[in-house]
Amino acid sequence: MPDPIRVAAVGDVHLADDLRGRYAPLLEGISEEADALLVAGDLTQHGTLEEAEAFADEFGAADVPVLVVLGNHDYHSGAERDITRLLEDRGMTVLEGTSTTLDTDAGRLGVAGVKGFCLGFLGRSAADFGEPQMKAFTSHGIETADVLRKALDDLGDEPDVTVALSHFAPVDETLVGEPKEIWPFLGNYRLGEAIDETGVDLALHGHAHAGREKGLTPAGVPVRNVAQPVIQAAFRVYDVVPRRSA
Amino acid sequence: MNEQLARDLERDIATDPRTNELGIRVQVRGDHLVVSGEVASEERRATVIEVVREHDTGLEIVDHIMLSAEPGPGGPGHEQIEPPQRS
Ligand SMILES: [Fe+2]
Ligand SMILES: [Fe+2]
Repeated sequence: MPDPIRVAAVGDVHLADDLRGRYAPLLEGISEEADALLVAGDLTQHGTLEEAEAFADEFGAADVPVLVVLGNHDYHSGAERDITRLLEDRGMTVLEGTSTTLDTDAGRLGVAGVKGFCLGFLGRSAADFGEPQMKAFTSHGIETADVLRKALDDLGDEPDVTVALSHFAPVDETLVGEPKEIWPFLGNYRLGEAIDETGVDLALHGHAHAGREKGLTPAGVPVRNVAQPVIQAAFRVYDVVPRRSA
Repeated sequence: MNEQLARDLERDIATDPRTNELGIRVQVRGDHLVVSGEVASEERRATVIEVVREHDTGLEIVDHIMLSAEPGPGGPGHEQIEPPQRS
């Protein structure tokens, strides 16, 4: 079996000044066990620049590339663009309908990322029908999946391992534990369809704090909910075996 | 009535800029107002209770809020993800 690419991930750290000091000591030296650190959104509690600074200070301690998507909390203060700029100035990669590749000792890692949005799951999803507000809600959910599909298409089959990173959940299996009534606000089956159509090896998401870690897409791609309250660790590491040589 | 009060409080805890905690549940049990769920720090727990106190409910507040576990280093080892069996 070829060497795996080691992908560390966490989400929903909801940083603010009161949580300073909680992550940096655990992320120093992470290169010994991971090739990259992916963060699945809700980096901050209220989406302020001050909180983004706390996130950058804590996660800047990691000695591997840090790739993030934003979450709904990071949009709360309308400062998502400034947050993106701040994180990129600090050397992090912020993905939103975009993708990037990294060369590791075990091969090339491709990551496509998007925040995602609500919509729900087959048979229990919002429909593009009725009032303009309902259509706007639904079409934003659909659009966000189209954007992820495009970012994954851009990667093509060039990476040895492809990871899809989102804040909202692409499947409902990782939502078990959350009240069913709110599932349509936690994820979006179209994200899962985009993942199934584009040769993804691992899908990572957050947002569902009371969900569970493991699930699969309809086509069998492993999905992991890495929300910090779910994994109860500073990060989880997934050793993803390259497809090509398997 | 009680149900309405509980939902109003949950909404306020979610939307109050001091808290913005979406994972807090409120239930009325007799003379008690039970506040449960999970937050990331002691300070955040205290602020949730403060927001609840500002409502004059006449009920005794019971704090069942849990603190999220402090993150430990890297969880239990690594999980190996093997390529999906696609045809
Ligand atoms: Fe979150
Ligand atoms: Fe979220």
